[in-house]
Amino acid sequence: MATLAKLSDDGDALYVKLLQVAQSSPDGLRKVFFQADIQALASESAKTLQDLMPLVQELTNHCLLRLSKLDRALCWSARPRDAAKAITLLNPDEKMIYSYVEDAHQKGIWLRELKKRTGVNPNVVQKTMPKLEGAHLVKSIKNIRAPAQKTYMLYHLVPSDDVTGGSFFDAGDLDESLIEELSNLIIFHVRMQSWADTKPKRVKREASPPVLIDDHNDSNGNAKKRKRGATADIEDAPRKYRPTGYDDHAVEIITQLSFPAYTRTYPSAEAIHAFITTTDAIRASKAAQLTVPEIQGVIDVLVWDDKLEKVGDGYRTVRGVSFKPPGYPDDEGEEEGDARFGNGLTQAPCGKCPVFDLCGEGGPVNAGSCVYWAKWLEGGG
Amino acid sequence: MAQNLAELCTVLIENHIGELSAQLFATLAEHGRLTVHTLAEHAKIPLRRVRTGLADLMEEQLALHFAAEEDAPTYYSVNWRNAYNLARHTNIVDLVNDRHGELAGQMVGNILQLGHARTGDLAEAYDLMPASKRDSGVDAAADHMPENGLGNGIAKASSAKASHDMSTFEFHSTLRALLRSGVLVKVGMRAYMPPSDLQEQIEETVISDQFPDRKVTGPKKQHDFKVAINALKRKWREDDAYSDLHDAGSRGAIKRPGDHFKSENKRAKVNGGHANGLLNEGEQSTSKLSDDLVVRVDFSRCTMAMRSRRLEQHAKRFLGGVTAAVYGALLQTLEGKVRAVHDELAADMSDDDESSLPAATAAEVAEILDPAIELGASIKGLATDKTLTNGTGKKGKKPHDDFGDFGIKRELSDSEDEPTTNGYSGYRDRANRLSSIEAHLALLEEHTKRYCKRVRAHGSSEWRVDFPALTATLVEAEVDTTIQARYGKLALRVARMLRERGKLEEKQVASCAMMRIKDIRAILTELQFHGILEAQELPKDNGRQPSRTLYLWFCDTFRVQHLFLQQTYKAMARTLQRIPVERERYRTVIEKAERTDVKGREQEKLEQPEKQALREWREVEERLLSQVDRMDEMVALLRDFSGRDTSLTT
Repeated sequence: MATLAKLSDDGDALYVKLLQVAQSSPDGLRKVFFQADIQALASESAKTLQDLMPLVQELTNHCLLRLSKLDRALCWSARPRDAAKAITLLNPDEKMIYSYVEDAHQKGIWLRELKKRTGVNPNVVQKTMPKLEGAHLVKSIKNIRAPAQKTYMLYHLVPSDDVTGGSFFDAGDLDESLIEELSNLIIFHVRMQSWADTKPKRVKREASPPVLIDDHNDSNGNAKKRKRGATADIEDAPRKYRPTGYDDHAVEIITQLSFPAYTRTYPSAEAIHAFITTTDAIRASKAAQLTVPEIQGVIDVLVWDDKLEKVGDGYRTVRGVSFKPPGYPDDEGEEEGDARFGNGLTQAPCGKCPVFDLCGEGGPVNAGSCVYWAKWLEGGG
Repeated sequence: MAQNLAELCTVLIENHIGELSAQLFATLAEHGRLTVHTLAEHAKIPLRRVRTGLADLMEEQLALHFAAEEDAPTYYSVNWRNAYNLARHTNIVDLVNDRHGELAGQMVGNILQLGHARTGDLAEAYDLMPASKRDSGVDAAADHMPENGLGNGIAKASSAKASHDMSTFEFHSTLRALLRSGVLVKVGMRAYMPPSDLQEQIEETVISDQFPDRKVTGPKKQHDFKVAINALKRKWREDDAYSDLHDAGSRGAIKRPGDHFKSENKRAKVNGGHANGLLNEGEQSTSKLSDDLVVRVDFSRCTMAMRSRRLEQHAKRFLGGVTAAVYGALLQTLEGKVRAVHDELAADMSDDDESSLPAATAAEVAEILDPAIELGASIKGLATDKTLTNGTGKKGKKPHDDFGDFGIKRELSDSEDEPTTNGYSGYRDRANRLSSIEAHLALLEEHTKRYCKRVRAHGSSEWRVDFPALTATLVEAEVDTTIQARYGKLALRVARMLRERGKLEEKQVASCAMMRIKDIRAILTELQFHGILEAQELPKDNGRQPSRTLYLWFCDTFRVQHLFLQQTYKAMARTLQRIPVERERYRTVIEKAERTDVKGREQEKLEQPEKQALREWREVEERLLSQVDRMDEMVALLRDFSGRDTSLTT
């Protein structure tokens, strides 16, 4: 193998050209070149097929080009130089295994599938993989769809979102805290633009609207600082937004004023995405990774959780929903929730009765023998 | 399916009338329509007692009867709707109290208790008859009512309750207001016939009148037939409906010729001095209602009012109290324009759904809306130039700059000496008020739930409410509330997602809900166990092994709605059944308190602990009953609001 002749200059020039084109194309190294493409790219000296043939053959021998078939036409794609060098050192079995992993590209290939497809002795495959890994040719990744399966892909590739599960997965595990913080941040951002805030009535203020807006910007800025700052500050900070939407008092304390209808554009998923990716709250590498559909997914969940509501093309927070400073326990709907949520059925013992289906007159459980009623009448809960 | 309902109704009837009737009802519910003899046989009750029990049931309109011909046997069947409605009494009284005042509430309460009542008897019960002379000609419907006994019954009930005396005028104007608003309706003869028999009779009449050859086949004839049937139905309904004109007790000389055919039997009543004293009520209030008018409470009308209230509450959750109040006023305005939650006769008049919905203008809303409500304060920017919408003339003239342009109600408005006469005085104030209302309505329209719609895009100010869609929203919200309260927030998230996205596979569910598959699986299984979600199997191969099968999860709101409805019936029955159990615990005290020598003098005759126990008992009973009322609200929502439910039709 070491006997392979040194790469000719023409061949090298062609390879560099192909690599450049491939890297600048959206497909990256996956970019395939058909005969005509290569012909167009090749230098003057190798325009004819006869001249080109040896060059391509040479590159293929050096493993710098990979041969494949697409729609019955032969095509080639470039390989990175160091990978190519490593491949030349492999034995035929390993080469074959490598080519299958390469074909799987960003999706990766399951070890068992690899054994089956190559037809190579499974034990050999088993032994080969660590070797390839050691040579930095392939790597083992975790497929989110099948976490138990051992999956391999080329070393220099980044796993596709299908495999990793997208931005919300961290090494194959759902990054729940990221989602939570992101939701919180979205609520915070949208909340700022959804309702005009006022203080409760008894506070008599001669504040004018500009001041009110200043107030917003101010707290906006504060919050950003807060995000960056130590958590201790947050604990000290007064809770500015109280949930008020649920209060059922005769005199309503208005703290959230609606904006007149059809006068306002509420932030859309794109706008929210733009905010999230530009804010400092999220690590830059992570922020760059987030896509609009992913943000849309978080928004959808927030809508299902009754935190946001769609207005026109944008979103606003549901009345009474408030931004919760990081680290604040999620106390909504737990203890006080019983009084606020629920209805006639669920608040009666029968609504939550575990043996409701058995209950009947003359049955093992009935209205007279029920223990839940006694508790309910006693404790009111 | 009907088992829970039957059980609930039996309990209700037992509480309302007594055990005998309850037993008969249960038998009828089980067996369908029966004659007296077969009924006696099935219920194992002597025929004579069956007759008394049936009379009680019929008096309350809990049983229907029909005989095809003069001497054919009469068949009896249950009236599910009316039986269930016994549970709704408290809610209706509450509603009437809210809208028409305590007095009306009290009267409606009495009428509810009686099932239906003759105006004259009611008046008598309230001690309003100068000299009680019973009218000689009693119309047919009144025959079913043992008048004397009942009349006395109310007298007793009301004399205890009615602490303030009521004038004849008040009585009649309240009654009239209730009739006009549709809460009360006239009872006609046909109210006692099972709908299917009524349908048959109508068809027969139409055939014999308009289709002499008795053939209604062929598309054109079928259509004509249908139209004719609906026309006749409508005509009969109109005949039975109350109208100010026909049902007015005569006012002496002024009597149109047309009046006679309706009120032949009615005697002229002299109206005394009242006519002049009452200015603002208009001339109608001066005429007394006929004594022979038989009225009952129209439950479908009340359902509509309950729906409005519910919608208002729902809007309040999302848009705040002020906007919700405006919405409430809009709904109430619209209520006056439709006959029932779902009018099947009106539906086939026009194919266009949109135009069949009623519409109201902002001015109409303004009339109903409580003038004390501060319209400007809850929308930003609205209060700045409008100042106080309920301001008096003097305020309106003040320059606007004087007021803080912050959306806060000014303290001044309370301390202002000037009386706020009727909400707005100047033209400009009125215009401001109208535009504020429009602003609130626009907010309602803008919301995702589309609480209302402007009829034409711009310019006109008619507003419409798409009730069918909003009813669906309400049902969904109620189902959601139940799911959340029972199974938690995450379960709700999953259920809503599946409702919106349709059928999804486990992994898709997990990725949409942003949760771990393991957690999702637990939720899905729990919800499936309780019947909230269902899974469709999709085998990958012919083997149909579970491991090689895809499961597509989905949530069928309609099914869940009915599941919850049945559960609510059952829970209501259990709650009512619990009352006697609780009573048993306090039996000795209750018995003592009900002894003739103690009754009325509880304060002196009872010991301190006994009084305490009595109070506890009342509290317990109150709590249980109010829980039933709340569950009834749920039943109304899940079953009645759409008006399309057929589970109660007999």
